[in-house]
Amino acid sequence: MSKATDEQTAPAEEQGNRPAAAYESVPGTVQPDEPGDGQAPRRTYELEDTGFREVPKRWRKFYRVWQGPGDSLAPNEIICPVCKVVIRSHREFRPGDRAYCMPCMSRMIVVRMPDGTLGAEVIYQ
Amino acid sequence: MTADASPAFEPHQLDEEEFLREVHSFSFWFEAVEGYLEGRPYGADPELADEPLDGDDRDRLITTLCNYCVGEVTALDASSGLVRLAPNHHSRIFLATQVADEARHVEVFLRRLDDLGVLDGEAEVRARANPRLEEFRRRVLEMVDRGDWEAAVFAQNVLLESMEDTVFRFHASIADPVTRQVLEGVIADERRHLGFGENDLGRRLARDPAGRERLATIRAELDPLVLGSFDGVYRDLGLSRADQPSLGRDYLAAVERLGLTT
Repeated sequence: MSKATDEQTAPAEEQGNRPAAAYESVPGTVQPDEPGDGQAPRRTYELEDTGFREVPKRWRKFYRVWQGPGDSLAPNEIICPVCKVVIRSHREFRPGDRAYCMPCMSRMIVVRMPDGTLGAEVIYQ
Repeated sequence: MTADASPAFEPHQLDEEEFLREVHSFSFWFEAVEGYLEGRPYGADPELADEPLDGDDRDRLITTLCNYCVGEVTALDASSGLVRLAPNHHSRIFLATQVADEARHVEVFLRRLDDLGVLDGEAEVRARANPRLEEFRRRVLEMVDRGDWEAAVFAQNVLLESMEDTVFRFHASIADPVTRQVLEGVIADERRHLGFGENDLGRRLARDPAGRERLATIRAELDPLVLGSFDGVYRDLGLSRADQPSLGRDYLAAVERLGLTT
């Protein structure tokens, strides 16, 4: 699984994350927290390869197989509604983030589900 | 934003055009299949010990594999025809990889029939083919022949691929070790195919919502053929109806996302 760190405790660069400015030109993608938006800073994660082999090597750590009952999602993980693979990020997902499922080529937006968990809605346009 | 060598860079940061170009590419396909097929010629590790099956189990597995072959030959013939109809180069290149995948599926299932002692795989497939699946094949190829991209992509990449994905997953969970490995490789391929179909149609229907009504009608005609044939596969796997997983749940979810419910 992934090891969490707290963005408040170390500069982004020290955790292997890109500087915030690099995210700003990509609307809908994993966004830096807005200063003063009232939300806690996002947790960040060091991703490890979990043995998922269905994408090229450099992308493998961003996906894993859902193990079924008994498995659970970390805050930086969502399930692809199309192919049921677990999609992962270096950063905690929040509603409005964009995510890509490379194994099935789907694009999606992270949403808050009625039960309070994070889910994803496929975007086609 | 384009792909970046930084260790913190992630796929979700790609811009949409870059993402689509990456996942539809031959390079992506090649590295992906190399990941899960390396060391598995004909879909399974040659060192993996095969379990002997008794007469009834062997016979049921042969029938099941024969019908998988019908589905895969249908997908092979249809996807190769769709290459000519593809609306852009992304789709054309992707479909060429799908043709290779489907040909491999036919080959590995025929090889498995060989392993089980079937002397003439092609004849056995013809003899054991479910008539509803044969009828589905005829309809899909008609769609391709008349150049109906949307109908053919729906029938093949959404309906057929979703149902195969469900059935293969279930079968892999109860299969002998060799058949399970073969199915796992096929399932990994199917993820790309069904994703391509849903996303292509989703983009088209977002631009042309009126197309939903036509596809919903086609769906209503084809559903009984495919659902019925896979019901038969579950029976061949030795399951009573009560033991069957909810066949079609993922397919129905895809249909709902595309707005094709009637």
